[in-house]
Amino acid sequence: MRIRSAISATLASAGILLAGWQSGIHVEDTRGAAASTPAGTSGTTGATGSSSGTTGSTGSSSGTTGTSSTSGTTATDSGAAAEPTTGAAAKAGGTYAGSVVQTRFGAVQVQITVNAGSITDVTALHLTDDDRKSIMISNRAAPLLKAEVLAAQSADVQTIGGATITSDAYLSSLQAAIDAANL
Amino acid sequence: MQRTSDYPPAPPALRARTFSCMGTVVSLTLPAALGADKLAAATAVVEQLFAGLDETFSLYRPDSEASRLARAEIALPEASEDMRRLYADAVGWRLLTEGAFTPERPDGVLDLSGIVKGYAIQEAGTSLLALGLRDWCLNAGGDVLVSGSPVLVSGSPVPGSPESAGREPWRAGIVDPEDRRTLIAGYPLGGRSGAKLALATSGSAERGDHIWAAGAGSGARPGSAAPVFRQVSVAAADIVTADVLATAIVAGGLPMLDRATDGWDIEVLAVRAGGELLATPGFRR
Repeated sequence: MRIRSAISATLASAGILLAGWQSGIHVEDTRGAAASTPAGTSGTTGATGSSSGTTGSTGSSSGTTGTSSTSGTTATDSGAAAEPTTGAAAKAGGTYAGSVVQTRFGAVQVQITVNAGSITDVTALHLTDDDRKSIMISNRAAPLLKAEVLAAQSADVQTIGGATITSDAYLSSLQAAIDAANL
Repeated sequence: MQRTSDYPPAPPALRARTFSCMGTVVSLTLPAALGADKLAAATAVVEQLFAGLDETFSLYRPDSEASRLARAEIALPEASEDMRRLYADAVGWRLLTEGAFTPERPDGVLDLSGIVKGYAIQEAGTSLLALGLRDWCLNAGGDVLVSGSPVLVSGSPVPGSPESAGREPWRAGIVDPEDRRTLIAGYPLGGRSGAKLALATSGSAERGDHIWAAGAGSGARPGSAAPVFRQVSVAAADIVTADVLATAIVAGGLPMLDRATDGWDIEVLAVRAGGELLATPGFRR
């Protein structure tokens, strides 16, 4: 009786291991798709997902993806970002492309280079859909000389913008002069 | 003096009407060719709309709904739909600007005057379009909303000219806060699709009764009372956004300026207290 239960327990754990291994491989596949060129080596990242306590040897280093028995799911989520760097593959180094992120300026995608577990370079694979929008990314206000701004002569404009003026101040304003000319 | 543009040498013939409301003067300008009657009718519609909102929202009228709210004679849940809607909008803007724009005075009194004029201009613009008017310029005390062009289409555009895709824009000048008889910059509004239609300007020196230096709230300039900007002009697709952000930047200083240009599709011209200019690329010549 005791032997039988021991055997069935062993079989069960072997089954779990096998399932874990397969889901790990599956994880690796999805990651490969998400991060188009995981130049860094083989099945190492996949192993982290399977772990479930036993194969901890491979899953050791990561921490973020190696959340034991939860297998594929969490790893797939994080795989969308440039996460595949965690784990043994990151140790090995390589280049990893992040997912395409939509911003209000268009789609943006970056690629990182990993060497000995550290990010050594970040390059933009894709910065927005067209040049006009790329320029808008740097739409911050910068110091400018008066001679550098769009000039205007009061004789050449049809309306005047300014801080709110009172009805009294209006009478002597440029807007009043323009309105008077068009009455 | 030689003109290099393809536009007719004479300035566009325009006709304007004005009226007083909300403590300032509102001007409506239309191409003269549309006729005086159309302008008079359009002005009447705009004036009625402004007067109605002023009656509800003015804190200068003791009998207005806003004044009764301020005296706590009524509570916000009992207020009119306009009041509640504008309050909700203003609170939304307070969140978006991280407190730089706020519908409450430091003494806690609800004050929507920072948003009501922009709202009035926007509603007036909607009414003008509903009247079938496509080309107009509405200026309420220095805040501007336009539609179309000052020049009515007559015949086909000059083939091959770079402007053939669009029409002549309304040219707005921005006053120099140091000398209000001169202009510090210009900005084209409307004329082509995609162009900004609204230009709002806020100042810290003039009638800045709805702008309070956001020292404590936003953490922009804690302990400092002197505003960083003398005047801020914002061009945007709509007047409420332009108006609120101009107010927020004056109150929130440089951090709010950067947040505004990062988060919204706007052009900004800011005049610092010392007279130096900060501008986004759209204001560069």
